[in-house]
Amino acid sequence: MKRKIILGLALYSVVFTLAGFYVIHTIRTATADLDRLITLHQVEILREHYLLQIKKVQSDLTLMETPHSREFDTVVKNVMNMGRIIDTCFDCHHTPRGMERLNNLKAQTGRYQDALSRVLTIRANARRFAAEEDAAFRTGEELITQVRDMIAITTSRLGESTQKAMDEIERTKYILFGLVMLGPLVSAALGLLFITGLTRPLKVLLESTRKLKNGDLDHRVPELRDEFGEVGASFNEMSISLKEQMRKMHRAEQMAVVGQLAAGLAHEVKNPMAGIKVAVSVLAGEEYIAAEDKGVLQKVIGEVTRLEGLMKDFLNFARPQKSRFEPVNLNHVLNTTLTFYLKAHSIGGKNETTRIERDFQEIPQIMADTSQLQQVFLNLFLNAVEAMPQGGTLAVHTRLEEGSDRVRIEVSDTGKGIREGLLGKVFEPFFTTKAKGTGLGLAISRQLIEQHGGTIGVESRAGEGTRFTIRLPVTGKEEAPA
Amino acid sequence: MHLRPFTPFALAACFLLLTGCSPNEPSSPPKTAGRPVLVIGLIPEQNIFKQLERYEPLARYVAGKTGTKIELKLLPRYGNIIDNFQSSGLDGAFFGSFTYSLAHAKLGVEVLARPMSLDNTSTYHGLIFVRKDSGIRNARGMKGKRFAFVDKATTAGYLLPLGYFHDNGIPDYKTYLKETYFAGTHEDVVYDVLNRKADVGAAKNTVYQRLAKADPRIPGELVVLTRSPDVPENGLAFRKDIDPSLRSRVRDALLSMDRDPDGKKVLEQFGAKRFIETTNADYAVVLKYVEDLHLNLANYDYKND
Repeated sequence: MKRKIILGLALYSVVFTLAGFYVIHTIRTATADLDRLITLHQVEILREHYLLQIKKVQSDLTLMETPHSREFDTVVKNVMNMGRIIDTCFDCHHTPRGMERLNNLKAQTGRYQDALSRVLTIRANARRFAAEEDAAFRTGEELITQVRDMIAITTSRLGESTQKAMDEIERTKYILFGLVMLGPLVSAALGLLFITGLTRPLKVLLESTRKLKNGDLDHRVPELRDEFGEVGASFNEMSISLKEQMRKMHRAEQMAVVGQLAAGLAHEVKNPMAGIKVAVSVLAGEEYIAAEDKGVLQKVIGEVTRLEGLMKDFLNFARPQKSRFEPVNLNHVLNTTLTFYLKAHSIGGKNETTRIERDFQEIPQIMADTSQLQQVFLNLFLNAVEAMPQGGTLAVHTRLEEGSDRVRIEVSDTGKGIREGLLGKVFEPFFTTKAKGTGLGLAISRQLIEQHGGTIGVESRAGEGTRFTIRLPVTGKEEAPA
Repeated sequence: MHLRPFTPFALAACFLLLTGCSPNEPSSPPKTAGRPVLVIGLIPEQNIFKQLERYEPLARYVAGKTGTKIELKLLPRYGNIIDNFQSSGLDGAFFGSFTYSLAHAKLGVEVLARPMSLDNTSTYHGLIFVRKDSGIRNARGMKGKRFAFVDKATTAGYLLPLGYFHDNGIPDYKTYLKETYFAGTHEDVVYDVLNRKADVGAAKNTVYQRLAKADPRIPGELVVLTRSPDVPENGLAFRKDIDPSLRSRVRDALLSMDRDPDGKKVLEQFGAKRFIETTNADYAVVLKYVEDLHLNLANYDYKND
């Protein structure tokens, strides 16, 4: 966004600088046109003035030797002015053709002055004087004709030049008007574009913040561009993290409740249970108790033992033991646990409908608490076997994940599977689909795996089976347990 | 022409510029409040307008050096300078040699300086010349011809032919010649003979030679028959009652021009090397010439017929 803002500002500056230069250029061009026009009109007026001056001198000449003749000094002044006017024409720049015409004009003016000087100074008989006067007059008339021709030519050109210059000025005017009108519009449009570009993502972020504030932790900021995209991504990460923290808090609260309950049970139930168990055991050892009654008492003892196990699970879940990390060969732990479990539950031998599949790839040792991992694996094996009452395949796979330092353990069965709606609840405490389940096995398993910095997930299809996937870091715990 | 809305502005601008600051309009002379004004007369040695242009830089220079204002007054005829000296309020004038002799005799003017030409001469002489193809080679050949003088108040343009006729036993040139007239300037006399408006002419050698340099027809088609003695070049003379300090300042300014860079430029434009001091003694040759012609300056009729 920063780059875009800089680019936008640069573009803005360039556009307005260019527009400024263009305006200056057009104004200078128009001014130059005006200057040219003024000069042309000055020249036009100068020529008219020159013509008038010649006519004035001609008039002086005509009135000479008459009662209305002008004073000699006045005539001289008029002639000198006439000469000065033609001299000023040479101050301007002319084309070679124009210069030639001007030179001709100056030469003719010189001849006229010579003739006038002669008339003014000569003293001769009337015929000679009249001849000189007539010669001067004719020279003056020729000069007038020459100037008129020149005026006619230049007037025609002046008209064309004036029209051309005025057209140019008119065009310049329209361009300037256009720029004056379009400039603010372009400026406003660019400003709006920039403001919209800045405020739209801010609005989206603000709306997302409000939703988060109202508890919608599942809301995600839609994809945004540039730095706003990064802010949106961070916002989404924050939402996910917040949701996770909320979940953990919720579970911590549950743990606190379970802990209190377990402590109560331990205090209120465990001791009486132990007393009951001892008492029933003693009673069952009495000889006078009939054999069939002893069977009943043994069942009571069994149920009491199960209740003790339940109490133990409560305590384990509510007050998990601290992990003792050590280098562990995970394949070995799995193999040992599986073998022990199979022997303990007489699986694989008598029950030939359950097939065991081991696929242990070479994996590095990991830092873990062996007994806690055994507890997790036993729980998964137990669940798998129970999910296959009619038999099936229990598969255990291990491998090192490519491109990471985690090992992956998969425990899958081909049992009845878990319905889709229940899949998200299997790790929740006290959730169970079994008639006699406590609903704590998988919750404890996840708790222990997370204590190791790992994760545990489940995939299942009803009627096809279930697969639990555990991912553990090779180097040990990566993050503190909740 | 169709006028667009912008046109009035352009025309107004043109009008303002033309009326307000046109550089081409001949300007009036600057105010010279408090500065003494000298009116100097000029005789028509050449085309009077060129004559005026030639003397203007010199007048400006002297005015600047002396703290005065100098007005040049052009006179149509040599003799006018005698007539108009007082009536026109002239303080001085550039006189021809004979004109000065007349003015000194009649008005008492006093000469102070005259220019020295680029060839180091400060004198001139008169020439009588004809066209080569005219067949005129002496006074006899002039009989029944047209003669162009310059002015009755000129040495070269009148005294010389007068002496020439006198020396050749022609008592009255008016009856001996078919037509005589006064062309007014030396330049016009030269061109009148060249252009066959006159058969014989008399003018000063300085003008003749200057024109000959510019127009090859003059040396090619004209021939000089005789010349006069050398007389002083046109000099500046002031009226006798001029302020002596002013006269002195003008004299000093003229005589020191050749030592001043600005003055040198003006001299170059004027066509002179420097100004030299001039006294009445320099005009003795003119007086001798007049005496030989039995003319009396005191009652000499200088007006052209």
